[in-house]
Amino acid sequence: MNRILALIKMDINNTYGLSAIRYNLKSKKEKWKLILIPVLILSLLPSYYIIVFSIYNLYGVFLNMGQKSMFLLYGILITQLILFFTGLLYVLSKYYFSNDMNILIPLPLKPKEIITAKFVSLMIYEYLTLLPIILPFVITYGIRGSEGLLYCIYSLIILLFIPVIPLSLASIIIMAFMKFTNIKGKKDLVRIIGYFIMIVLLLAFQLKVQSIAGKSLLNEDDFMYKLITDSNLFVKRLGVVFPPSMWAAISLTNYLNITGFLYVLLFMGISILAFVIMSLLSERVFLDGLIGNLEVSTSRKSEKLRASDFSKSYPVYLSLGLKEIKVLLRTPVYLFNSVIGVVLIPIIILMSMAMEGTNVSQEIKMLIGGNYHLLNLIGIGYVTFLGIMNCVGCTTFSREGKNMWLHRTMPIDIKDQIFGRVLSSLFVQLIGIVTLLGCLAYMGLINVQSIFWITLLGLLGSISMTELGMIVDIYRPMLDWDNPQKPMKQNLNVLISMGIGSIYVLAVGFLAYKLLDMMDVAFIYGILAAIFVISSYVFFKILNRLIKRQFESLE
Amino acid sequence: MLKLKGLSKTYSKGHVKAVDNINLEVKSGEIFGFLGPNGAGKTTTIKMIVGLLKPDSGNVFIDGIDVWENPLEAKKKISFVPDTPEVYDKLKGIEYLNFIADIYEIPKDIRQKRIEKYLDIFELKDAIGNVIGSYSHGMKQKLVLISALIHEPELFILDEPMVGLDPKSSFKLKEIMRQRCNEGKTVFFSTHVLDVAEKLCDRIAIINKGKIIALGTMDELRNSAGNNESLEKIFLELTDNE
Repeated sequence: MNRILALIKMDINNTYGLSAIRYNLKSKKEKWKLILIPVLILSLLPSYYIIVFSIYNLYGVFLNMGQKSMFLLYGILITQLILFFTGLLYVLSKYYFSNDMNILIPLPLKPKEIITAKFVSLMIYEYLTLLPIILPFVITYGIRGSEGLLYCIYSLIILLFIPVIPLSLASIIIMAFMKFTNIKGKKDLVRIIGYFIMIVLLLAFQLKVQSIAGKSLLNEDDFMYKLITDSNLFVKRLGVVFPPSMWAAISLTNYLNITGFLYVLLFMGISILAFVIMSLLSERVFLDGLIGNLEVSTSRKSEKLRASDFSKSYPVYLSLGLKEIKVLLRTPVYLFNSVIGVVLIPIIILMSMAMEGTNVSQEIKMLIGGNYHLLNLIGIGYVTFLGIMNCVGCTTFSREGKNMWLHRTMPIDIKDQIFGRVLSSLFVQLIGIVTLLGCLAYMGLINVQSIFWITLLGLLGSISMTELGMIVDIYRPMLDWDNPQKPMKQNLNVLISMGIGSIYVLAVGFLAYKLLDMMDVAFIYGILAAIFVISSYVFFKILNRLIKRQFESLE
Repeated sequence: MLKLKGLSKTYSKGHVKAVDNINLEVKSGEIFGFLGPNGAGKTTTIKMIVGLLKPDSGNVFIDGIDVWENPLEAKKKISFVPDTPEVYDKLKGIEYLNFIADIYEIPKDIRQKRIEKYLDIFELKDAIGNVIGSYSHGMKQKLVLISALIHEPELFILDEPMVGLDPKSSFKLKEIMRQRCNEGKTVFFSTHVLDVAEKLCDRIAIINKGKIIALGTMDELRNSAGNNESLEKIFLELTDNE
């Protein structure tokens, strides 16, 4: 047990850089940077307030239906599903792609000790993600229903255990996945494709279950009667999507009677059981997936160097962009977060519509009434926002990590640094655009004009978004990392960039919306293009100065 | 070729003087050894020369160009080999070398000739098509050395270059350093291997606690020490006395 505690302590310290923060606090400059973080988080509060406010109102909707337990299920289900799906990625990189494995494996530690420590550290990280989502639900329910002390105690227990089942499930799936994909040779490729298929299948399964549960509920003969008599009807029917969420919701709404008590016991019991199974399983399968992972395959017979191996001289910015793209595509964690992300979003939306069974594209067509420009504008906004969501710009310097010395000692013009890195983001964007257009074409919602405007203005918007991300990233690059997951997913720069980026997209979107009634859409496209070009230029100028300053002053 | 003028750098709000008012001039065609105990300020000085660390005061001139005033022009004349070879694990060796050649704008035929020459010298030809992640420490070190030589720099700066190299590669590197100087180019390197410094360097500087405490040719150092001692003894005496 002591060993596990020591491991947990070390892992948390290492993951969150606690010692480094303490050390940095001695420097005045670093102190300022640390103060800046809460200030930036505070700046995100207004948009968070809107979400909290809508959650607060949602309570009323379910209360009127006499199904207020559904309100809690809603919050818990969203939280647990997010935990599960993000958990798949976190587990993959934390268990299998972190460099400290090279140190831990030779130590006399059992796999389950290592996994337990990593699991706990991951759980703490997940609390940071889940609390902003779940707390508004739990607190709203408590305040608006004037629930008592016992409710608070039950809530605390539920909150404490909430990440255990999703993370255990994610760990089990990933450990099995890594064991069975540990194939010599094309391991990385098999895993990337396998991971993509796995996510799509799991999502499809989830959506199908949701859709079946929803339909069967509405199709019940005595639906209205049951709705009135059973206040847990919605929860019981829709909770099958993820039963643990249902148990948590029922225990919280029935905390005054024995049902609530039994369900909280069930929730805790199954959580502990899931963790124990996961930990026992890790003893048998974890190393099988890992050991091969640490070795880097080399071709036995290295091919003779050919003249074609020596590339013709590329311009610096292009060479830099190509290097970025290669590293992005070959590092699984980067690939999952950037390329797979932009491909998955439209596919998920398409899938969820397809699962509904109704002819959604027909409904959309009726809604826009042949006015495809509305769809184009939404598409442009979506692609522009992807420019920051793809995480390429806002992590470009952080991802350099220990290789940063190279860029600072070589004669690379700053404008080449900017062009090359923007280029790599545009490459990912292009994949996103093609997927989006493909999905739209599948729904029959596309024409040549849409392709032209979404591609052109989407790419233009992406340039300013990428530059915006780069400004945030070079201002506070995260260069000291041992796990490629860190610069991508544990990097506050991503969150900050998304915050600022969403304000930018919302503002431009609002302007376009207001202009729709006032002028021809061609003018709106022109205005959008002008905004994107001007902001790209302004961001470029800022970047130019900032990169010069930071490349000189980083230590 | 390289001139350091009143170079200083402090850490911890000025409490620790890592480099304290260093003045130094390295001429073209010289192999210059930079010695000192751990934490003496060698790496800090080198980092200020190559643009990785901004000096608190003083200037660095490369061929008359101020590194911190006109970094791009200055960096075109140098190449730097750090003490730990951190390079992109996901790139193939040859891709990395092509990338570096692009940065220095070297045409295809010339890059091919030079890369093949150095791959032969360092016996890395068989691994160059593999990803760098599969390389050993020594192989990475060799790759960084080759990448630093592709553009035939006027000034070759190396931080502890012999660490991690096998004896054969180490010997070849010394040969390359000597050959470069014969061609009128300059080499500046830090090392702990006093034997190498003694046999290879035209001039040597010993730095301790941020200050240069000895500077000159091997003969000059011996004379100032007052007898015919080895560099090891001179080094130990000087750094112990401080």
